Amino acid sequence: MPKNLYKIAIASGKGGVGKSMLTSVFSVFFSKTKKIVAVDCDADAPNLHIWLNEVNGWEKEIPVSTSFKPEIDINKCDGCGICVEKCKFGALKMKNGKAEVDNLLCEGCGACEVLCPRKAIKMYPVQNGEIKIKKTKWGFPLVSSHLYPGETGSGKVVSEAKKEAEKINSEIMIIDSAPGTGCPVTASLKDVNFNVLITEPTLSGFADLKRVLEVVNYFGSDWGLIINKWDINTEITEKIKKFSKDKFLGKISYDKKIFESVSKLIPISETNLKAKEEIKEIFNKVYGKTS
Amino acid sequence: MKKIAVTGGKGGVGKSTMAVLLSNEEVRKGKKVILCDCDIECPNDYLLLNQKLENEKDKVYFEFPKLIKSKCQKCGLCAKTCRNNAIFQAPGKYPIFLKELCSACGACQAVCPYGAIVPEKEEVAKLFLNKVKENYFLVTGLVRTGIEEGGPVVTKTKKFALELAEKIKADFIFFDTAPGIHCSVISALKDCDKAICVAEPSPMSRIDLKLIMELCKKMEIPTEIILNQADLSDSSGIEKLASSFNSEIIKRVNYSSKLVEAYSKGKLLDFKI
Repeated sequence: MPKNLYKIAIASGKGGVGKSMLTSVFSVFFSKTKKIVAVDCDADAPNLHIWLNEVNGWEKEIPVSTSFKPEIDINKCDGCGICVEKCKFGALKMKNGKAEVDNLLCEGCGACEVLCPRKAIKMYPVQNGEIKIKKTKWGFPLVSSHLYPGETGSGKVVSEAKKEAEKINSEIMIIDSAPGTGCPVTASLKDVNFNVLITEPTLSGFADLKRVLEVVNYFGSDWGLIINKWDINTEITEKIKKFSKDKFLGKISYDKKIFESVSKLIPISETNLKAKEEIKEIFNKVYGKTS
Repeated sequence: MKKIAVTGGKGGVGKSTMAVLLSNEEVRKGKKVILCDCDIECPNDYLLLNQKLENEKDKVYFEFPKLIKSKCQKCGLCAKTCRNNAIFQAPGKYPIFLKELCSACGACQAVCPYGAIVPEKEEVAKLFLNKVKENYFLVTGLVRTGIEEGGPVVTKTKKFALELAEKIKADFIFFDTAPGIHCSVISALKDCDKAICVAEPSPMSRIDLKLIMELCKKMEIPTEIILNQADLSDSSGIEKLASSFNSEIIKRVNYSSKLVEAYSKGKLLDFKI
């Protein structure tokens, strides 16, 4: 890993609260004075390229094979059923006296392979996603992780995307995390210097913020908080602000024009919206942490 | 009994809102309904229905590996076998199990020639039951943060909800899924009669919708679309996508500040579109 690389992750717990929007604007702002790389780590639903209007193809597409599936040799299988009984994911069942795998439920752990007394099961690698890379119109590279529908291992695809991004010589890596608290989020928030958490003032937004904070605290890295659409419920905004104490970074107003703008593929950094100015103020605070 | 998944790919498009509103509607028609929150990492349906997660009905356990040092010969086979990179072993040292990467699959236990790895049961999730009102039940699965593998937790949550549905002879069971297309979403969609995909007229929602529709197609689950915030932008992209998957938009819900307010305060039970 490059020595002086500073990693910032944008996370939220709840989906649709503004992670990718914020990442897109932060990336453009940072790129004005720093060498940066932006990484879309929401492998399940990568959207950062849309917020940046980078929708016309990629320069590089790297296949990722971090998943495995079992192949059952039915001539060797004697139908003992040990694999079916021991599979923790319910991915194996007996059919006509032989074991059969349901690839959609299979996690590719390979327990069945080591358990089979007849050595009838062999694991084979499966391409479960890809890493897409391109240079954006602002000059900084965008690395995007993509999980294929029906495949498993989004966390591992995310880790691969981060590894690819580390190969690019840069001072700052900006990571757009997936929603939730599961494996893609853990993979996103691992080894970062600072977490920018973003939420909205709803009961769900607040509850999910507390959940993702558990992951942040597990890794022990510093964080700051932004409240997006703060004016849709000022009462909850105050509660969240109080909760975040000195970690509070700022707030962004609700504006239907953000939705209109992205629908027309106009990046928020290229607009004159109020949100852009509000994000600029927050950006200055975060920028101070990196130098 | 109808088993319906409410999903959508993108986060924040209104999956939980629609799951709750659809459930409300059926209850109002006099049907018996179970709403099952399968977004185990961030379940929110209870908040939207102004409920508390107090009535714990069951727990989910994983069997994580535990090393018995006196038996371990440091052969390294466990670390080599683990496909999750959850076992770290420096040369000549005992293996270290990294719980945040471990899916509790049991492969290391199975492969150890010395019986030095034993299963250790650990609680990873809780299941809650709320009676929202007469003929209206909410089942919620809540996983501990930092658990690598959500699929089995969702499966257990669904099993609990399905057994309850059997017992009370429910007419509908709605499964509210997590965003994305990963394992816990797959487990939630599994064996459903249909999937209602919630979308909004944005380019982000359109590409995420495409991914979830592809997943449903692979799983042979018919889909229908609810278009949320339908009046905020041009919806022709979603319409085209719908027809390319032989699906259709069954409902359009316009932006409503009243709905946003009811959502933010957890007052969706009495809300009517």
